[in-house]
Amino acid sequence: MTLAIDVQDLSHSYSRGRSGSTPTLSRLQLQVPQGSLVGLIGRNGCGKSTLLRHLIGDVLPQRGRVEVLGCPAPKLDSATLARIGMVYQRSRFIDWMSVEEHIRYVASFYPDWDVELEQRLVGQLELELDARVGSLSPGNVQKLALVLATGHRPDLLLLDEPAAGLDPFGRSELLHFLLELLRERHETTIVIASHVLRDVEKVVDHIVCLHDGQLTADQPLDSLQERYARWQVLSPQGEPLPHQFPESFVVRQIIEGPQAQLWTDGVGDEERKAFEQRHGVSVNSRALTLDEIFPLLTRARDSWLREAS
Amino acid sequence: MLLVVDVHSGVPVYRQIMDQIKVHIASGLLSTGAELPSTRNLSSDLGVNPMTVSKAYSLLERDGVLERRPGRPLVVREQPEAQVEARRLEPLREALHPCATLAHQLGVPAEEAVTLYREELQNTAIPPSPKSPSAKNSARSRDSEEAS
Repeated sequence: MTLAIDVQDLSHSYSRGRSGSTPTLSRLQLQVPQGSLVGLIGRNGCGKSTLLRHLIGDVLPQRGRVEVLGCPAPKLDSATLARIGMVYQRSRFIDWMSVEEHIRYVASFYPDWDVELEQRLVGQLELELDARVGSLSPGNVQKLALVLATGHRPDLLLLDEPAAGLDPFGRSELLHFLLELLRERHETTIVIASHVLRDVEKVVDHIVCLHDGQLTADQPLDSLQERYARWQVLSPQGEPLPHQFPESFVVRQIIEGPQAQLWTDGVGDEERKAFEQRHGVSVNSRALTLDEIFPLLTRARDSWLREAS
Repeated sequence: MLLVVDVHSGVPVYRQIMDQIKVHIASGLLSTGAELPSTRNLSSDLGVNPMTVSKAYSLLERDGVLERRPGRPLVVREQPEAQVEARRLEPLREALHPCATLAHQLGVPAEEAVTLYREELQNTAIPPSPKSPSAKNSARSRDSEEAS
């Protein structure tokens, strides 16, 4: 298994003046195999962008080691940089150029620029080539950024909230395009940092969740979905349920008389049947969407745990 | 082959693909030897990650449902009769589980719930499709009757 990204023991904190510093990333470990499409999720300010900037050597590790495409990120040479594409949350371009001039300008830096891919992308995203870059709407700037980040067919594509300025149509085009890139070249690795979880859920195969500087999830989306569930618990005879279910797999519980809602972590069918027998209840288990799993991986979880203790 | 996946249902997409292919086989829509679309085509049709389709296919292959032959499309393997029958009931049993718990919740006695289910079966009855295995048998027997 070749790794596209290898982060070992990475720590980073931003100084906050006199009040000291807050750790943004704390002894982070992350390995991303080549060919994966990773969704990097987490609350605002959790360090998603900081992590991405470490990957391109834009920020240097205060502790630990970051390697991308087999090269230490702080020392990326131009050949390796030419294999990376990045779309920033807010892109800045040269306003006075036309879209076409800007594309040509950037393309001139890459010997392997794929004009055919560029033209297909410009068509799909409905970008106007003779529009001035300075007059583009935020959504269209985002589209231009995407063309500029992918025209050289990068082996590693890093996207920081790429869907932010796009309307639903543009978002679905973007996701469609990412999948197409993967289908054409299996070895392309894509990391998409976003909190539009419905978009992420649609395309990624792996989820990485950052919270309080650490990873609270680093696993395939499938296994994340299979791990958490919401149970509707009923006492068949209408008898009141216990005040609290003591099982450690119950992450959160709301109990009202003979009914309860439980959020569970990692329970198999057998264990669920045992639970039903033990408490004399019937359970309806439902899968959770990424939107519903998100609070379990982030701050909400902390407050529930505090509540319970 | 019509597959419909809901990427926002929380049920892993590879599971949805596996379950639907199994249902199609159980209902006779996909018969032994039927070819499946390539990973690339199916993932493009469904708008999902190719890895997801290839995971579903590999697991179906592991379960003995599909067969991979070098350089050719995946095909449906011949299924033991007893297994086909069991697989036919599996999705139905799963779908009935929430109905059963709801009946308990509402305090509806078992007999009454069964009557309701029977009524519902009658209300939704459609002429048997020629594609389902049992209908195939009956169609065959009708043919032979006509011929005689």
